[in-house]
Amino acid sequence: MNLHIIHANIIRANIIVSIKSFYREKTVVFFRIAFPVILILVFGTIFMERDNEIFALRIQDLDQTTSSEQLVAAIGLSRRFNITQVSPEADAKQYARDNKLNLIVIIPKNFEMSLIEKMTADNFETPVTLTKIYDPGSFGVTTKIGVLDMVLAKINQEMSGKPPLIASEPVSILKKKYRFIEFFVPGIIAMAVMTASLFGTVNVNAELLQKGVIRKLSTTPITRIDWILSNILYQFILAVVSTAVMLLVSYAVFKVSLEINAWLVVFVALDVFAFVGLGMILTRVAREAESASAAADALMFPMMFLSGTFFPVEMMPEFLQAFARILPLYYVNEGLRAAMIAVDHTAALKSALIIGAFAAVVFVFGIMITKSGGETA
Amino acid sequence: MTKNSKYAIEVNNLTKRYKGLSAVDNISFTVERGEVFALLGPNGAGKTTTVEILNTIRKPTSGKVFLLGMDVTEKKYDIIPRIGVLPQGFSSFDRITVKETLQYYSRLFCRRKPDIQGLMALVNLKDKAAVQYKNLSGGLKQRLGIAVALVNDPEIVFLDEPTTGLDPLARRAMWEVLLDLKKKGKTLFLTTHYMEEAELLADTVAIVKKGKISAMGSPGELIENNADYLVVMLKSVDETVFDIVKKMGFAPGYDSHGDIKVRLTHADDVRRMLNAVREGGASFTGLNVRKPNLEEVFLKLTDDSLMEKSAGIEAAQ
Repeated sequence: MNLHIIHANIIRANIIVSIKSFYREKTVVFFRIAFPVILILVFGTIFMERDNEIFALRIQDLDQTTSSEQLVAAIGLSRRFNITQVSPEADAKQYARDNKLNLIVIIPKNFEMSLIEKMTADNFETPVTLTKIYDPGSFGVTTKIGVLDMVLAKINQEMSGKPPLIASEPVSILKKKYRFIEFFVPGIIAMAVMTASLFGTVNVNAELLQKGVIRKLSTTPITRIDWILSNILYQFILAVVSTAVMLLVSYAVFKVSLEINAWLVVFVALDVFAFVGLGMILTRVAREAESASAAADALMFPMMFLSGTFFPVEMMPEFLQAFARILPLYYVNEGLRAAMIAVDHTAALKSALIIGAFAAVVFVFGIMITKSGGETA
Repeated sequence: MTKNSKYAIEVNNLTKRYKGLSAVDNISFTVERGEVFALLGPNGAGKTTTVEILNTIRKPTSGKVFLLGMDVTEKKYDIIPRIGVLPQGFSSFDRITVKETLQYYSRLFCRRKPDIQGLMALVNLKDKAAVQYKNLSGGLKQRLGIAVALVNDPEIVFLDEPTTGLDPLARRAMWEVLLDLKKKGKTLFLTTHYMEEAELLADTVAIVKKGKISAMGSPGELIENNADYLVVMLKSVDETVFDIVKKMGFAPGYDSHGDIKVRLTHADDVRRMLNAVREGGASFTGLNVRKPNLEEVFLKLTDDSLMEKSAGIEAAQ
């Protein structure tokens, strides 16, 4: 294929053939359009629960007094727990194991007596202790205990009748309050566009190369740049459709409210540009379809999990955070969140420049090594 | 060479080396406009490398190749619109129909009003217009490949092993298409290892062996120039015939029909052999004396030892 010339009519012909091939292959349509939507629905449901989470809490009241009843009621009033009482006769540990519970709070016998004693003697040095029977292997128990401790601290403070000496007031860096799902959707968009661009390019090109279609194409006027641009534009069209569907579903199901601006289009385009280029290089370097796919896997998985798509990069150890900052997807995630959540144009521009530079290098390198199946194309 | 050259193809001292090994070794030939030229050779002889250099896909190590008067290494993008190529093992986009495939390739060549119907009619694919490529049989895929090679109405059509892997019926259907192209006056450059195909279609045949041309001419000329023996076929159920011929110092063998096949250098040998059979009291029911066909000439030119081996195997059966 020729290197320099661009033919708009040839690019158009390639895009028509690619789109026809795409919609006639139903499994590809599913993975391209429906799969990211399913991810959003699944994770969205999980995160919605997390945003408005009301924990199930079992309390075993061994005291059965007015004070213990008031404590249970006070915990319930916090609206953070859905309380179920456990019979005082039950063995709490066994009960927790049998019913697969991660936390049971035990109000001890003589709770009321001890409380009155301490209050009348004005002795707050040694508190009355509630026992928390918990399963350390449970994923959510730490959060649950944390919330419970906060609720108990507030009850303590109200009971002591003294206002807090130090209080704090959260002030968000964002203009409005966002839910976790709203942080998640831009990450899924970045990841879905990356995966589809990378795998779409690797799979299609490796197959065409192996079958000899690229060899046939090299005996036509198509140029290398025509071919790469056709791949990029085709993937961009699909990415725009896929992103629109993801946003519509997120809005319809979860009432997700994100800023839709030109940056969204810019980052989707750069995401496609970078990963189609990378896909072209992998196809050429790996030669065999299977090894090209394996190489794409090897690049994609670290990016998927370490670039801040599913959980914030700040949760990771320092060295992994440093590693994340060399991954191109990290900048797509950062850029999309800056554009769609924070509406921080400077941050978006910074990310766009980094991913843009990466895409340009990959594109030029891709053109240099893309061959037609023969040796001179 | 000028653009008005009478040759469609001119190859001068073409060599292609890979890591010191010569895939094509200093070959030269010319193809006139409207001529059907067949490059005939066993697998690995350098046919595909040669045709890929002619198609501008590969660059020669040395030598010059001119298509329609233009140097293939310098005028690649002037040459491409004027040639049509059916590469070896042609393949296309699985989910695209016959008609759409032709429309697609027409667009690549910027043909404003391509005659898609005419092309489908030429290769007898009109009734398959709406069938996707992956659902076509091997023969139909190859016919589509020919139609694709013709979308730009090329002056030279390159066909790299167009009938390899096809069943005899599909092969004959393909020959009909190629004969039709020949009638239309297209210059055809064919690589094949089917002698029958070359004999039927080609005006000129070049036999290649290990990257070199070992003989070139019309099929008739090749046979004439290399037919330095006669092939005698004896139909007989009498097993003593074989022994008598063998005792005379000849190397008889059996062909696939069970007939005795003997290569004899002189017409006198035929007479001597028949007399010996009669005198030995043996009988035969049929006799055929003929010149070797192109396949036998090809085997002789590309691998004499192979011919001897095959005769030996036949003799042993």
